[in-house]
Amino acid sequence: MATYLEFIQQNEERDGVRFSWNVWPSSRLEATRMVVPLACLLTPLKERPDLPPVQYEPVLCSRPTCKAVLNPLCQVDYRAKLWACNFCFQRNQFPPAYTGISEVNQPAELMPQFSTIEYMIQRGARSPLIFLYVVDTCLEEDDLQALKESLQMSLSLLPPDALVGLITFGRMVQVHELSCEGISKSYVFRGTKDLTAKQIQDMLGLTKSAMPMQQARPAQPQEQPFVSSRFLQPVHKIDMNLTDLLGELQRDPWPVTQGKRPLRSTGVALSIAVGLLEGTFPNTGARIMLFTGGPPTQGPGMVVGDELKTPIRSWHDIEKDNARFMKKATKHYEMLANRTAANGHCIDIYACALDQTGLLEMKCCPNLTGGHMVMGDSFNTSLFKQTFQRIFSKDFNGDFRMAFGATLEVKTSRELKIAGAIGPCVSLNVKGPCVSENELGVGGTSQWKICGLDPTSTLGIYFEVVNQHNAPIPQGGRGAIQFVTQYQHSSTQKRIRVTTIARNWADAQSQLRHIEAAFDQEAAAVLMARLGVFRAESEEGPDVLRWLDRQLIRLCQKFGQYNKEDPTSFRLSDSFSLYPQFMFHLRRSPFLQVFNNSPDESSYYRHHFARQDLTQSLIMIQPILYSYSFHGPPEPVLLDSSSILADRILLMDTFFQIVIYLGETIAQWRKAGYQDMPEYENFKHLLQAPLDDAQEILQARFPMPRYINTEHGGSQARFLLSKVNPSQTHNNLYAWGQETGAPILTDDVSLQVFMDHLKKLAVSSAS
Amino acid sequence: MTRCPAGGAEVEMAELYVKPGNKERGWNDPPQFSYGLQTQTGGPKRTPLTKRVAAPQDGSPRVPTSETSGPPSVGHPPPSSKASRPPPMGTCPAASVEPPSSPVTESEALIEDVLRPLEQALEDCRGHTKKQVYDDISRRLALLQEQWTGGKLSMPVKKRMALLVQELLHHQWDAADDIHRSLMVDHVTEVSQWMVGVKRLIAEKRSLSSEEAKEEKSTVTPENQTVLGFHSLHNPGGSPDSLK
Repeated sequence: MATYLEFIQQNEERDGVRFSWNVWPSSRLEATRMVVPLACLLTPLKERPDLPPVQYEPVLCSRPTCKAVLNPLCQVDYRAKLWACNFCFQRNQFPPAYTGISEVNQPAELMPQFSTIEYMIQRGARSPLIFLYVVDTCLEEDDLQALKESLQMSLSLLPPDALVGLITFGRMVQVHELSCEGISKSYVFRGTKDLTAKQIQDMLGLTKSAMPMQQARPAQPQEQPFVSSRFLQPVHKIDMNLTDLLGELQRDPWPVTQGKRPLRSTGVALSIAVGLLEGTFPNTGARIMLFTGGPPTQGPGMVVGDELKTPIRSWHDIEKDNARFMKKATKHYEMLANRTAANGHCIDIYACALDQTGLLEMKCCPNLTGGHMVMGDSFNTSLFKQTFQRIFSKDFNGDFRMAFGATLEVKTSRELKIAGAIGPCVSLNVKGPCVSENELGVGGTSQWKICGLDPTSTLGIYFEVVNQHNAPIPQGGRGAIQFVTQYQHSSTQKRIRVTTIARNWADAQSQLRHIEAAFDQEAAAVLMARLGVFRAESEEGPDVLRWLDRQLIRLCQKFGQYNKEDPTSFRLSDSFSLYPQFMFHLRRSPFLQVFNNSPDESSYYRHHFARQDLTQSLIMIQPILYSYSFHGPPEPVLLDSSSILADRILLMDTFFQIVIYLGETIAQWRKAGYQDMPEYENFKHLLQAPLDDAQEILQARFPMPRYINTEHGGSQARFLLSKVNPSQTHNNLYAWGQETGAPILTDDVSLQVFMDHLKKLAVSSAS
Repeated sequence: MTRCPAGGAEVEMAELYVKPGNKERGWNDPPQFSYGLQTQTGGPKRTPLTKRVAAPQDGSPRVPTSETSGPPSVGHPPPSSKASRPPPMGTCPAASVEPPSSPVTESEALIEDVLRPLEQALEDCRGHTKKQVYDDISRRLALLQEQWTGGKLSMPVKKRMALLVQELLHHQWDAADDIHRSLMVDHVTEVSQWMVGVKRLIAEKRSLSSEEAKEEKSTVTPENQTVLGFHSLHNPGGSPDSLK
């Protein structure tokens, strides 16, 4: 029989799901005692090269409150041409097209290997993708030039029939009319006054009376593929003019006096962008791409004043309730984000500056709409340029790795309810019998909207077992969940991806071992971390850490093997063995610790943590460390100061940074130039190996990480030293004796001390 | 193919290269990969480095494996200096992937070999292409000529342009378009002003030739006529990606 590890991996590859528990406790009471909730990480559009979409529509259960999609778990009566819904048990007639079905002639959606299936919907109007560039011109010359070039370059990467538009802003906001004629016109708005969507549309002449083109629409429904406004034109038509327009962009002409920040009307610019798309293309795939080089300094959404002597808010200011503009600005961007989500569009933010740019206040824009958030030092860096290029990367089919306007609907069998979701989504507020009253994350609904997503976008979805203790589930019973994702594919087709999964129920009293063995500690760690980070957005840091600690202790009490009051007897089984160390590293991570990070940085890290898939999320929680030496092939080593050895090269991946660290001896050899001597060619290869591996990671990662090449004693070695478990510190160095590893100058608790405390608390009858 | 590690000398000749990031402007800026490398599919892929080791349950670090010093340096007595030497030429742990080599053409691309065919292609489109677009493309070709003769274009750009023109002459629209894209990504500063004209020229030429093909077809099979007008109406700029 396959091991659970194989089972878990297979399910992830096929269905894009990882469950915290793969055998489910059969009653509410027992489920709460499991500590880690029944939940899953779902990657709705996981890349499946082996799964071509079928060219018909899904068959739905006829019960109006159910409407589950026909799937391999349904019972089928081939003779009577009936199928029973596995969620509500309704008996349904097959549609006429299915009259020919039999045991040997099944449609794909009934075959077990199609637990995930994708339908391509032919009906409905297709509309082109839309890209609206919102460009800050308060940049240094060098930065503006680099940004202009990146934008010009992007015109070659966009789908040729995509619509593109341009808004630039500084002290004023300019909406550029794009036309093939030589003269370029633009509409100028003041950056200090917020306008309603209606006002914006009136001023731009987008309202019906002012736009005869739109009225003419019904007259030629098929022949005219779409009616674009003067502000949004197909790339293949205006690429030459737009290239010139971008090339001619100048820095904001308003003088900036000594000691002042430039006046930057980001809030109004975004508001106009949202209003423009709201009025012209609601509910079709569109990206608003904001490129900014500093904080908004005037008008609605301003984050800091223009006086340079007043610095932008820090965590300290926020704690002291001393961040003057934060609440009001946040409210402005939240309003915009919610409107954008309602329109089915997404907002990306590309913020490149050395200081903070207001990501804390603006984070809701990408977070609620599924847009990207990219943070760099300058637009003239390969970090920005390549990250931006990768937005337009294509998959194995040559399709863009982006999808729009998705609705995710979750259906459960009756023993389960939906508690909520955490990810780049908003609630659609659809109540129903399978929605739990207890919320985890964004709850109170069975449907969410994800306006922008790609093949790696991943949501955490949390459930509640509601079956009562005294109403046992028959032996061998299974619970089922169906995920239905409707979305606009980058080829502008409408598609529906349906994943239906089932897991066994088990009685936690008699079959605890089964449940335990089917625990997915990696998924559980990420799902618990998402809950923690979600709470950290609204609660005080220490409260979240205490909550995480309490959960860990309870989990160890439940699943550890030990004698009461004897910490040395404590053991965890294999399926739990890594979990405590994940929690240890999570506690130290920038997702929960704000020390040494600006509010913008925290927002940036949390943004990425809440959307990456399991593998990437786990790298963020506990970075990967590989060791290269002459003693054998590269091997994974403990993320521990004892792994820092003189004759090793280390490669650390924290997701946001790739660090290569040369041990002391290696660094000396390199300095002595051995790699250039023919007889030491193997040393040259040793130096090269981690570089090649790093390159491989860099080539695939989105966004581009920072790349740090350092050595023993180098100042940048701190990136490694701050991540490893400080098992040797200046305090206990002599206790450890020899030169095994590198002592870390820290008072942080080490994993050993953490584990000692954990064991003590777990075995104690008092806690 | 030339592959050089970050920090190594930039080899611009090849389309597959990695050059260092901009350390002046970006703190720990990552290296920059060429378009060819970024879009490369398949090829030698290492197993992803995603493994971790579990800490022992007491949380204490594993005792490092006994440090058997590397293979003895045959024929090289260990140096007397305090710093030891790396073991010479033993087993190399890194499974080094030898990059496949590709021939590098050495000859210099000539301006007339590039510009003449482009101008001819544009001339072919006269009448098919709107006057204004025609003029616009023509203006950009003049700019290309000016920059080329002014010595402002680098060798890799010239070479890639020569290849692009070859693809264009052979009606390999997708290939030509892909070369245009690689030039925009890798050499945007040099080419951004005029390349868009070349891009449009590829699209115009493509739509022209598909129209001609259709006309030819229609004279043979008149029953196809109904679809004709529809297509030419809908593919004014051509869509290079739709055929992929």
